[in-house]
Amino acid sequence: MKVICDREKLREGLAVVNNVIPSKSTKPVLENLCLVATVDAIEILGTDLECSVRYRIPVSHGRGEGDLKEPVVRVEEPGIAVVPSRVTLDFVRDLSGSEVTLTTHDQNCVIQSGEDKCELVTVDPDEFPVISSFGDTPTLSIQGGNFTRLVNRTAFAAAREAGRYAMHGVLAEVEDGMLKLVATDGRRLAYSSVECQSRPVDRTRPAIVPTKGMQLFCRVIGDPLEQVQLHFGENQVGLKTKNAEIFARLIDGEFPRYAAVIPKESSNYVEADAEMLTRKLRLVANVTGTEARAVRMRLTPDNLELFGQSVGRGEAHARMDVAFKNASAEIAFNPDFVLEGLKSCESGIVKLEFNEKTSPGKFTLGENYIYIVMPITVDA
Amino acid sequence: MPPSLPTILHVDMDAFYASIEIRDNPSLAGLPVCVGGPSDQRGVISAASYAARKFGVRSAMPTAEARRLCPDLVLLPPDFERYTKASREIMAIFRNYTPLVEPLSLDEAFLDVSGCERLFGDAVEIGRAIKREILSKTGLVASVGVAPSKFLAKLASDLDKPDGFRVIQPDEVRSVLDPLPVSKVFGVGPRTAKRLESLGVMTIGDLAQRERRDVVREFGASGAWIHDLAHGIDTRRVTPRREEKSHGMERTFPQDVTDREELRLALLSFCEDVAFGLRDKGLRGRTVTLKARYGDFTTLTRTKTLTAPTNLGPRIFTTARELLDKIPPGPLRLIGVQVSGLSDVRVAVQESMFGDLEPELRGPRGTAQPSRAKLERATEGIDKLRKKFGRTAVVRASLLGRDRLEGRDGSDATP
Repeated sequence: MKVICDREKLREGLAVVNNVIPSKSTKPVLENLCLVATVDAIEILGTDLECSVRYRIPVSHGRGEGDLKEPVVRVEEPGIAVVPSRVTLDFVRDLSGSEVTLTTHDQNCVIQSGEDKCELVTVDPDEFPVISSFGDTPTLSIQGGNFTRLVNRTAFAAAREAGRYAMHGVLAEVEDGMLKLVATDGRRLAYSSVECQSRPVDRTRPAIVPTKGMQLFCRVIGDPLEQVQLHFGENQVGLKTKNAEIFARLIDGEFPRYAAVIPKESSNYVEADAEMLTRKLRLVANVTGTEARAVRMRLTPDNLELFGQSVGRGEAHARMDVAFKNASAEIAFNPDFVLEGLKSCESGIVKLEFNEKTSPGKFTLGENYIYIVMPITVDA
Repeated sequence: MPPSLPTILHVDMDAFYASIEIRDNPSLAGLPVCVGGPSDQRGVISAASYAARKFGVRSAMPTAEARRLCPDLVLLPPDFERYTKASREIMAIFRNYTPLVEPLSLDEAFLDVSGCERLFGDAVEIGRAIKREILSKTGLVASVGVAPSKFLAKLASDLDKPDGFRVIQPDEVRSVLDPLPVSKVFGVGPRTAKRLESLGVMTIGDLAQRERRDVVREFGASGAWIHDLAHGIDTRRVTPRREEKSHGMERTFPQDVTDREELRLALLSFCEDVAFGLRDKGLRGRTVTLKARYGDFTTLTRTKTLTAPTNLGPRIFTTARELLDKIPPGPLRLIGVQVSGLSDVRVAVQESMFGDLEPELRGPRGTAQPSRAKLERATEGIDKLRKKFGRTAVVRASLLGRDRLEGRDGSDATP
């Protein structure tokens, strides 16, 4: 194999792929990436067996002058090399020349730019796992920025602690031309949807995508205006951008029946300035304990009082104006959960609805974006 | 520090279990009597009479070794019911003098008698009276230590055993402590003692003379503690109600029970009672432990931690029954359930979203149980009825017509 490639282009590709590469694996071959040079492109492949990336740098000839000059990507001799991922990325990043030449000699791969070079030991390409490729069957198409926003709105609510396997991912479904994402850890739940073009089906089987995979998807989307393709397969989901194809193995489990948790009607309805609520919550949360943190919210007409309490530390009190029509109501939440949701609130006004102090609180954080938080109850 | 008056008593029964056996069977008097497990079952000695101790027999020693030291040893199986009964009588005597009684085990307690002088005289007089009263009411002998602090009181009762009565006045603290070996300091075990000896510290006096910061550097936080004690400084109070760590109930059946339905009903009854006890004390627990002892004395425990703490009988029972299914079949002589990981009901609880995911919320054969809020409301009503009309006013239908099982509260060894 011999290729000559624009250094920045190569660095970018290596960096994207390096995201999936495990730093320590029981299968050492996975700590490598695979370079495939064909007549029309250089491909960089990496996987941790849960997620895999195929990044493509198409051949270009470096025509033009000055700022308009195309980057050089040339394949002089097609071939394959499997090289350690981290070292390759670090070395290419720290080179100073604008073009890099990669050449294989026997068991080694030489990376060279100007007078600087390194020679890396390669691994037999047959040992490298087979990486899926997208094929021609995208299920839906969505604007990159919309997809990233949807993930950022929901993924934070997915379970982090071990135990509930099915909740360690984000549920994705397509229904009536909308892509819906749902994530929950059993105590709070984020739900959001966005329009997408789905062809040939307008409905997919719900798929649980590991949170890590979702985050990787967002990382490969470079241009928010670019349309990306999604494909939901039997046991994996794929995303295709202009340069990259990425696949995540689906979580095989039963996602909790979340629909029942979303309150249909609520007797208490509050509208509050999102920024002010964030400030006041953070303020009183300072005085809550480390375990079972709770901030009590006491509502009277157009008035919200917040109490943060901890046995050893004392009590904090704050007040703010809100829109609230009922005579009175009370509910308590873990302030961390509410604050995390407010962080991704997209409108200036946040709406909170709930029935009783033991029933779920429904926050509306934007258009097609709701966040349910289970309250904290305290016996009298 | 101003010299404080000795107001702390440490009362320790002499060879408690063995003495009860001798009291109840006078023909044993003077014989080397021991209570413990049989030697062919790797038993150990739990108590040895003073006659047995002359042969070098000590508690916690393997019975087989005790037999080697003393071939004429009279070995008796333990009868905790009788010991508990005696212990209750003794603790009741203490509480006639002061409410500040901190039981350490069945046969040992700290008492703080400060403020009782007008009623009963000073600590020394109270100590003598208690010792007398124990002997006259139970026929058992106690050793009593009277001192300004817990550490010194315990040391005092130990110094003069058996049938001891020892007072340590504030001005004699040094003369008492100095010659004692460091191992007498509470918290200095064999390993710390060895390390101290290698530093040339043999007696408590040696330890007290060391620079405090040197001891701290050598032993960390426990260094500060043992250095304080070596100076007779011990500010621990006598705390009558130590925080409960668990709440449970167990019972030995008159005949071994194999029938699982019978065992489940026994568990149901315990769970209801344990839950009632938790509610009564304003507690909730998170960890459920099932204890089962087979006819051959093999004892198994199975534990499960719930997603949220509870004090509701049905919740505890669902878990206990699940745990019962995990132990192999066979005749059981004892079954019990214990709830630990206790927390105050006033501690806030994070509600969970998908109740149906929590297995402990599922009823028998997968049927759904009422929601926690509903169950709590119902329980509150039932508790009111039980408090007004007695514990049997409302019982589960499956327990109707059965005698309420009187379990021995496994958590609360002290009366």
